[in-house]
Amino acid sequence: MALLTPYSKVPELNTATVLLVESEEELQSKLADAIVHHEKDFNVNVRLARRLPLPVENKEGRPRVDLMVFIVNLLSEHSLQSVESSLTHLHSDCFLGKVCFLVTDARCGSHTQERLVSLRKLAASHQCPVLCAEHRTEDGVNAAAVRLLNILKVSAGMSPLATTALYLSSLTRCSVTSDLEED
Amino acid sequence: MDAQTTSVLNRIIRRIPNKNIEDLLKKWNCLSADQLRALDYTRPKWVIVEHVISFCEENRLNMKHITNLEMIYHIENPDRGTWHACQLAEAQDDAVCVELTQFKEQFKAHLHGVIRHISIKLKKHEDEAIWIRIAWGDNFNKPNHLKPTYVVHHLHTSYVFISNLTAKHKIYLCQALVIATKHGSIKDGHLSTKSLTAMRDLLLRRYQQVFPNAHSRILQDRNTVSSHPCIGKEHGDHEEMRRQMSCEAFGLGPSPKLETAVYRLETRYRGTGDHSLGDREEFFRGVVRFSSSGLLDSLRHCVASGIAEGPVTPLLSAITQRGRNYFVITDKGPGVSSQASAQTAPSQQTL
Repeated sequence: MALLTPYSKVPELNTATVLLVESEEELQSKLADAIVHHEKDFNVNVRLARRLPLPVENKEGRPRVDLMVFIVNLLSEHSLQSVESSLTHLHSDCFLGKVCFLVTDARCGSHTQERLVSLRKLAASHQCPVLCAEHRTEDGVNAAAVRLLNILKVSAGMSPLATTALYLSSLTRCSVTSDLEED
Repeated sequence: MDAQTTSVLNRIIRRIPNKNIEDLLKKWNCLSADQLRALDYTRPKWVIVEHVISFCEENRLNMKHITNLEMIYHIENPDRGTWHACQLAEAQDDAVCVELTQFKEQFKAHLHGVIRHISIKLKKHEDEAIWIRIAWGDNFNKPNHLKPTYVVHHLHTSYVFISNLTAKHKIYLCQALVIATKHGSIKDGHLSTKSLTAMRDLLLRRYQQVFPNAHSRILQDRNTVSSHPCIGKEHGDHEEMRRQMSCEAFGLGPSPKLETAVYRLETRYRGTGDHSLGDREEFFRGVVRFSSSGLLDSLRHCVASGIAEGPVTPLLSAITQRGRNYFVITDKGPGVSSQASAQTAPSQQTL
């Protein structure tokens, strides 16, 4: 089974690539537009996918992926299940700072709280950060894009302070506190 | 004006919102300019109704004029009430030569011959549609103008759209239509909607259809225009294919606004769980009903966005391909098929 590996290709000059994985394809395109229009200092490539594994045909043309973002819509059970099954197609090297979870609709209803808890446990076990985003307004999408760009800069090695992705992820990774586990 | 006339007029004016009454009365052209100016549309509805009734009595209008007003109202607002489609079959050789005057004469002659008291009004609209209003009486009673049947037919097409027809009068109307259009039989079209425009657009194919072809360039070109060069889609081919499938099944652009699709199941239970249900001889009857404010648009979105797995099942694409929204699904041999009951000759159609 072909796993997605982060270091198998050579990086391009002054370019970073982010892969957005979302099974509903709702927030993906808006976020992609916002990311591409925000960043002026370096080239950003955005790849959109519904799930992993990615089609083999695109392997040659695909640039090296610096950050993989899994977008989960908490209103849909299918969304979370799709992300769980996609995670099995990632090489374990990816989890050293190159994977991030983006969650939407975290404040609506009671089922979302349960799903958020299970997602946070998943993220904590893989040592990855969880971001919450608000996708219904333009401001929310722009804010999420800016946060993703910050993480992307570090993951692609463009941060001037020589921060590595691994160090950043150890600072930002999701932790499951004991009161969450009591729920 | 007699009591029935006033009550029909009453009913028409009450249904229309005040701001639309003026246009309707102008089109009707039976009230003088002074009278129209004298009407104040900001007053409560019953005041307006009273004024209109008194003006009509001044001008000595009778039932003919009032029914004319009702027809104009229905032609302007075709999307009220429930419409059913019927299909004419077995066209004779000279069916294509039928003209409006010939149709009118034959239709009226037949109905007047069968029923003594009946009131028929025919109007040709500018878009080639013939509107027919029929108030039914019988051999002893005068026509009842409070429950008229409306029929819309486009000459030389095989579809007839009917609203408000009772079972008692169905056979007379069908006979008259078959004779006047020179066809052999008429059968139920299994399509009923609230909106006549939606029904017409669907059956007369007035929406943008997409046909399967080797190069799906048209849809691709539309898609790639809005995309930024730095944004790449991993599953782009799949997306294109899904879009093409959905547009082939349900059309491109705004589709006719159907509201429901009903599937009546007369099949045996075939699930894996409860075996006691599956072993029975009788059918597991169920009805599946899809409702939406724009059914075809929703189904197309389901398929295009990947919520429903493609290829589109023929049960759903039959809505547009066959122009129906009522299906009966039975077990027949290895696959499933649907049966349509015909008026004159029972015929079986497979999906």
